Amino acid sequence: MESRSNYWLVAPSALIFCALFIAPMAFFAVLSFWQVEYFELSTEPTLANYRDVFANYWRVMGFTVVVATATALLTTALGFVFSFLARFRAVEWAQALLFIVLITLFGGYLMKIYAWKTILGNEGVLNSALLALGVISSPITSLLYSPQAVVVTLMHFSLPFAVLPIYASMRGIADSEVEAARDLGAGRWPILSTVIVPRCQSGIVAAFSFVFLIVGGDYVTPLLVGGKLTMIGNLIAPQFGAQFNWPLGAAMSIVMLAAAVIVIYLFRLLVALWSRQ
Amino acid sequence: MTLQTPPETRSKQDSPAALLKLRGISKRYGDFAAVEPLDLDIFPRDFVAVLGPSGCGKTTLLRIIGGFVSPTTGTVEIDGRDVTKIGPEKRPTNTVFQGYGLFPHMTVRQNVGYGLRLQKKTRAEIDDRVAEALRQSRLTEFADRSVAALSGGQQQRVALARALILRPKVLLLDEPLAALDLKLRHTMQDELRRLHQEFGGTFVFVTHDQGEALSLANRIAVMNAGRIEQEGNAESIYAAPATRFVATFIGDANLLQGERHGGQVKLEAGPAFADAGPDGAITAVVRPKAVKLLAAGEGADVQIAGMVEDVVYLGDHIKCSVKIMGEQQIIVHLDAAIAPRPVVGEQVNLGWPLLQQRVVVA
Ligand SMILES: Nc1ncnc2c1ncn2[C@@H]1O[C@H](COP(=O)(O)OP(=O)(O)O)[C@@H](O)[C@H]1O
Ligand SMILES: [Mg+2]
Repeated sequence: MESRSNYWLVAPSALIFCALFIAPMAFFAVLSFWQVEYFELSTEPTLANYRDVFANYWRVMGFTVVVATATALLTTALGFVFSFLARFRAVEWAQALLFIVLITLFGGYLMKIYAWKTILGNEGVLNSALLALGVISSPITSLLYSPQAVVVTLMHFSLPFAVLPIYASMRGIADSEVEAARDLGAGRWPILSTVIVPRCQSGIVAAFSFVFLIVGGDYVTPLLVGGKLTMIGNLIAPQFGAQFNWPLGAAMSIVMLAAAVIVIYLFRLLVALWSRQ
Repeated sequence: MTLQTPPETRSKQDSPAALLKLRGISKRYGDFAAVEPLDLDIFPRDFVAVLGPSGCGKTTLLRIIGGFVSPTTGTVEIDGRDVTKIGPEKRPTNTVFQGYGLFPHMTVRQNVGYGLRLQKKTRAEIDDRVAEALRQSRLTEFADRSVAALSGGQQQRVALARALILRPKVLLLDEPLAALDLKLRHTMQDELRRLHQEFGGTFVFVTHDQGEALSLANRIAVMNAGRIEQEGNAESIYAAPATRFVATFIGDANLLQGERHGGQVKLEAGPAFADAGPDGAITAVVRPKAVKLLAAGEGADVQIAGMVEDVVYLGDHIKCSVKIMGEQQIIVHLDAAIAPRPVVGEQVNLGWPLLQQRVVVA
C-alpha cells in the first residue's frame, strides 16, 4: 500500500491542470448557457445557444468531424508506418528519422501551409512537374483550395504528434516478443495484428486524439488552402472577436468537444476490439 | 592419448538417425566470425547443452538453428529436411528466449494458446491442450492472470509451456536459468529435467554455467571463440578434455606446460614420460582429485616435489595448494579425514598415475 501522504506529490501538477484546463472549461460550460443581447451579457440560463448550434451549424460541425476523423485516421496510419519503420525495420536510422519528424515541428505552422500552397497551386511544384512530364496538358486546378488540400496540409502538420506517442509505445515492445510470435508461427500480418497493434493501443489512441483535436480546432488551414471551405473553427473564432458572441462560441466549443469525445471513444473501442485476444 | 576415453554412447558414424544436423555452419558479421564453420549432430530425445563463455557464439548458433539468423555458410537439417532457408515461423523448432518474450497484453492462458490459435485449431482442441499444458507446467491456478504479475520462475514456465504445446521436434532454450536466483535455479533444473522426460522431446540449451550443463544435459558441446572444441557426454568431457580450454572450463584442472619430442614428453616442471603424438608444445591436464600426496618411498607415474603453500578445509575435502618449480602451483584435493594433515611450509612429493592425466596439444 502506498503511503497516503504520497498523493501530495501530485498536488502541483493537479493544480496546474485545474488552473489551465478544468477552470477554463468550466467557465466555458457556464458561459454557454448565458446569452448576449444587444451587446449585453445576460446571465439568465438558456439553451438558446445550443438550439442555434444544432439548427444552423450542424452541417459545418458534421463536415469538421468528417475531415478531422479522416485526417486523424490517415495521420495515425502514416504515423504507425513511420514508427514501425523506425522501430523495427531501419533501427540504425531511428534517431535520424525521429529527428526529421521533430524538426518539422520547429518549421512552424504557417510554413507548412505555405509549403503546400507552393506544391499544390496552379503554378505549383506538382502541376509544373506533371505538365513538364506531359502527364497533363493543363494544370489541375482542384489540387489547392479543396478538402484534400486541407487534409494533406493538416496531416503534414500533425504527423509528429502521431509519430511520437506511437513510437514511444513501440519502444516498449521487446524484440523477443516479436521473435516469440514468429517462433510460434506468426507471419508478418499476424505479428502486426496480434502483437504490435495491441501493444501500441495507448499510443495509437493518443495519436488519433491529438490529430483529431488539432484538426477539429483548426481555423487557419481552411482559410489558406481550403478555398470556400469552412470548418467549425472558422465560425467559433469570430464569436470571440468581431461577432462578439462569447456564449455562442462557448456552446459551439462544447458541442465540438462532445463530438470529439464521442469519436475518440469510438476509435478507442475499435482499437480495443481489434486487440482483443 | 594416455587416458582411456570413457565409452561414448554413440559415434558420428552411426548418425543416420540424427534429428538435427548442422553441416559447415558459420556466421560472420563483417570481418568478425561469431561462429566458425562447424558440424553438429543432435539425436532424438537428446538434452544437449551448448556450453561456453559469454560472447563465444552460443546464442548465434541457437538462433541459426531456430531460423532467426541465417548462416553465412552451411546447412541446417531437421528430421531429414533442409530448413536452412526456412524462417522460424515454419520450422519444427520452438524457442524459449532469454528474456522469455512473453506477451504482456495476454493472460497466461492466452500466451500458452497463442501458437494453436495461429494454427486455427478448433476452440475445443485449443482449450483442451492449453488446460493440459497448464496442468503439466503447474500453472493452472495462474491461468487467467496477466503474465506481468508472475514471478521470474512462473514466467519461465509460461514460456516453456507456450513453446512445448506446439510439440516442437527441437526445443531451443537460451540461458534458460540465467535470470533466476540460485534457489529457483535448482528448482527449475529439476523442472526442466522432468519436462524433458515427460515430453520425450529433444532439447538444446545454451549456458555459460558448467554446473548447469553437467547436471541437465546428456550431451555437451563446449564452445569457445565460435568453435565447438569438444562434443560428447558429460563424463567423457570431464575425464578426457580434448583441449586446454575444455579442461579449464569444465571443472578444476591443473595445467602443466611441456614439450613433446618423438613420443617423449618433458614437462617444464620436471617430470618426463612417454606419450604418443605429434611433436610440439603440449599441456598436461590433471584434476585436483587425481593428485596424491606420496608417502616416503611411495612412487607414481608422474612425480613432482613442492612446498605446501595453503591448506583449506572445505567440509567434504581439503584443498591444498602446493608450489612447485617455476612459481607454478598445483591444487590437490585431499580426503577430509587425512591424517596427518599437511602443514604450510612442508616439503611434499606429489604424484599421479598416467591414466588420470590427459595430454592436449598446446
Ligand atoms: N547482429 C550482430 N552484429 C554484430 N555482431 C554480433 C551480432 N550478434 C552477435 N554478435 C557478436 O557475436 C559474438 C557472439 O555473440 P553471441 O552468440 O550472442 O554470444 P553468446 O551467446 O555466446 O554470449 C559476440 O561477440 C557478439 O558481439
Ligand atoms: Mg547469449
